[in-house]
Amino acid sequence: MNTAETDGRTYLAKDFKTDLKPIWCPGCGDFGVLQAIHRALAAVGRAPHDIAFVSGIGCSSRIPGYTTAYGFNSVHGRALPIAQGLKLANPDLLVLVAGGDGDGFSIGGGHVPHAIRRNVDLTYIVMDNQIYGLTKGQLSPTSPRGLKTVTSELGSLEEPVNPLLYVLAYGANFVAQGTPADMSGLAEVIEAAIRYPGFSFVNVQSPCVTFGEEHQQVKAHRTAMKPLAAMGHDTTDRLAAMGLAQKYGQELHTGVFYKNPTPPPSLDVQVRERQASMAEKAVPRERIFDAFLQK
Amino acid sequence: MRDLAHMDDLVIGLAGSGGDGIVSTGEALIAAAAYEGYHALMTKSFGSQVRGGESSCRVRLSTKRLHNPGGMLDVAVALNWEDFLRFGAELPVSGDSVVIYEAKTGIAPSAIPLVGVSPKQVLAVPITELAKKACGTDKAKNVVVLGLIAGYFGIARESILRGLRKKFAKKGEEVVQANERAFILGEEFAREHPLTQPRVMSRPPPSAGSKLLTDGNDMCAAAAVFAGCEFFGGYPITPSTEIMQYFTREVWKYGGAVLQAEDEIAGIGAALGASFGGKKAMTATSGPGLSLKTEILGLASIAELPLVLVDVQRGGPSTGLPTKPEQSDLFAAAFSAHGDVCRPVLAPTSVADTVDVTVEAFNIAERYQTPVLILSDQEVAQRKETVDPIDTSRFHIEERRRPTEIELKDYARFRATDDGVSPISHPGMPGGNYQGAGIEHNDHGNPTASGKVHAAMNDKRFNKLAPLKRRRDLFHIEGNPNAPIALVGWGSVAGVCREALDLARADGLDVKLMVPWLLYPIAEEIYRDFFASVRAGYVVELSHQGQLYRVLRMFTDVPATVQPLCRGGANPFQPIELLNQLRALARSLQQPAAGREAVEE
Repeated sequence: MNTAETDGRTYLAKDFKTDLKPIWCPGCGDFGVLQAIHRALAAVGRAPHDIAFVSGIGCSSRIPGYTTAYGFNSVHGRALPIAQGLKLANPDLLVLVAGGDGDGFSIGGGHVPHAIRRNVDLTYIVMDNQIYGLTKGQLSPTSPRGLKTVTSELGSLEEPVNPLLYVLAYGANFVAQGTPADMSGLAEVIEAAIRYPGFSFVNVQSPCVTFGEEHQQVKAHRTAMKPLAAMGHDTTDRLAAMGLAQKYGQELHTGVFYKNPTPPPSLDVQVRERQASMAEKAVPRERIFDAFLQK
Repeated sequence: MRDLAHMDDLVIGLAGSGGDGIVSTGEALIAAAAYEGYHALMTKSFGSQVRGGESSCRVRLSTKRLHNPGGMLDVAVALNWEDFLRFGAELPVSGDSVVIYEAKTGIAPSAIPLVGVSPKQVLAVPITELAKKACGTDKAKNVVVLGLIAGYFGIARESILRGLRKKFAKKGEEVVQANERAFILGEEFAREHPLTQPRVMSRPPPSAGSKLLTDGNDMCAAAAVFAGCEFFGGYPITPSTEIMQYFTREVWKYGGAVLQAEDEIAGIGAALGASFGGKKAMTATSGPGLSLKTEILGLASIAELPLVLVDVQRGGPSTGLPTKPEQSDLFAAAFSAHGDVCRPVLAPTSVADTVDVTVEAFNIAERYQTPVLILSDQEVAQRKETVDPIDTSRFHIEERRRPTEIELKDYARFRATDDGVSPISHPGMPGGNYQGAGIEHNDHGNPTASGKVHAAMNDKRFNKLAPLKRRRDLFHIEGNPNAPIALVGWGSVAGVCREALDLARADGLDVKLMVPWLLYPIAEEIYRDFFASVRAGYVVELSHQGQLYRVLRMFTDVPATVQPLCRGGANPFQPIELLNQLRALARSLQQPAAGREAVEE
């Protein structure tokens, strides 16, 4: 995002909070994600009406409704296409996309590589809890092998997807992970993702308090998390990031995995340039059909 | 019926293999005709191979307005018979047809493989030989054919030559001259081997100026940009892709953008996102894509977002007949929805009225904040047609209703209003912040599971569209409004009905025709008025089931004596065939006791 677009006003996290009471279970990780997003938005300083927050379906996809920005709680798996159309048609907006692991890596999984290769300037926040919580505990694409759920009563026979490795392999230019166990760290990576010019991806290990395992809860995260910054990880090294990402499901690395130091131009910027260079070729709309006159 | 010596209407059909230049022959001919001020219409038909395989086109020229590609061929050109015969009913030959074919096939004129017809004038022409004589290769076969057509029927000689010079200018003077020689050799052959009954095409009236030459897909896309469309999201699918292609060339100039999405769902999703962002937006597809887009159409309906979806129908189901027209997506367009939904469906009937229908689709979408479907079909979308220059001042362009300053003070996006249309804001508009949602919502857009709110919102979403059913301007009634015999025809078939109506009236029959642009919701009252005088009739459709007929019966009292006349795609109706059906209806009305039976052709 281009920070020059801010209106100069100072915003506080509470300016982004609505009065609506979230439907989430007490102790749900998404409360922390919501708070981190509000903090990040306050730090970035765009007015709520200049922000559009698009989501799919799931517990996490309710999040736009709890934010004072424009929101679009769309259909399962389709937040990314909707957000790309929105941003291309309105490049001045700050566009956030949110959803769960099912939204992003199962039903909508086919959209992720294309959003990444197009590099539309969006921030995609996945609240990854390795379970389908809203529908009461079915297997998700990130559920570990062997997990017993209502749709895998004898234990899952499938390997989970690795969201971090996927998006790195797809060529994402900004990839980070956070947990609500580290609120300031999470707010920081979300802010950095928003400020990054181009598509940015933040995987949040957001525990499901009702259907999740003990070791997936916030309390367990506090001891398990390994901040990448403290490990001396070079965030400009995609291969090193992919090495670390392989530990998804075993280690809880937090912070920025990869940040391309020379961001390629985003699609919305290129669209703008093309519009500017073509504008002079426009015939007035009322004469648009004359091009077909047989001369 | 037709003055054979002096024609004002000529239907030419050509077929050959992929490399024979069949389509470029047709294109050269129709371009010259358009330049001279003829009304002209051209359809192409292929096998579904990318290269090679059979290829055909029909060109119809007239000094009068044309509504369809015509029926029987006046002139049939076969570069080889195997390919020609593959097109069956698409290239019907009669005893009156002039048949020109490649002598190299070695078949004697008396032995051409047409079953059940023996055309009186059959000419074996050494087309390849003449091409080789002109330029040393057989590449100019199609130019020889142009020379033959110009020579035999006196059509547009100078304009064809002018077109050839323009086309080949880049390749140098030598190529231009070789092609001119090929054309002249064709002409000379015609002069040296005259027809037993020579026919000459009349000139267009001197007042006829040059016309546009275009197809339905280009007109649809251009009309969308004219109507203010600034975003197109879609996925390539035959036969709609040319719509996206136009956008990729043009929309940038108008500050818009186009996204070739990763799939059909993403295409409509991106378009809906642009509409949520306040921009007029469009997607286009064909039947299989419509199925995939259905979920997001439902989202557009409940989120009350304007969106135009074009479905260029082809033969179905599934891959079906991807290069042939059919009218079998009406059920899908009107009904393939989850939940209670009403979405308007419009159908153009020609290349020219594709402009009106597309502008109307955007106006309805924006005015009523709803998805609107345009049901085009492969014929309307891909046929080339001459169109009179378009006076765009006749169009009104609708913009969505924005909230006023006062309304923004206490803004509720889905607030109940008298007409069911609530002012709509968009991201970027201060004070208009709201939640768009696929989940049922209250007037602020916040989720609800209340049955009471759901009922009220259903009412709102249905009631706002009610005025459409009173839009008599979206229905064209031709002929005597009180006639006892009627046809109803939509989409490309309407053009065949129009010509059949003219023929029937010239024949003294008391008939009328209803051509709806608005297919859904069904305008009960307008149909009731139309059927009031009707004692016999047909709803004519290019589909196996006769889908409009079925939908009409669902919503209106269709007289029992009005029946479907329908069959699947790639079996085009012919004006003369409908005329015979109308004659049979007229006869049956004169013998009321005997009942009536459809004429079996």
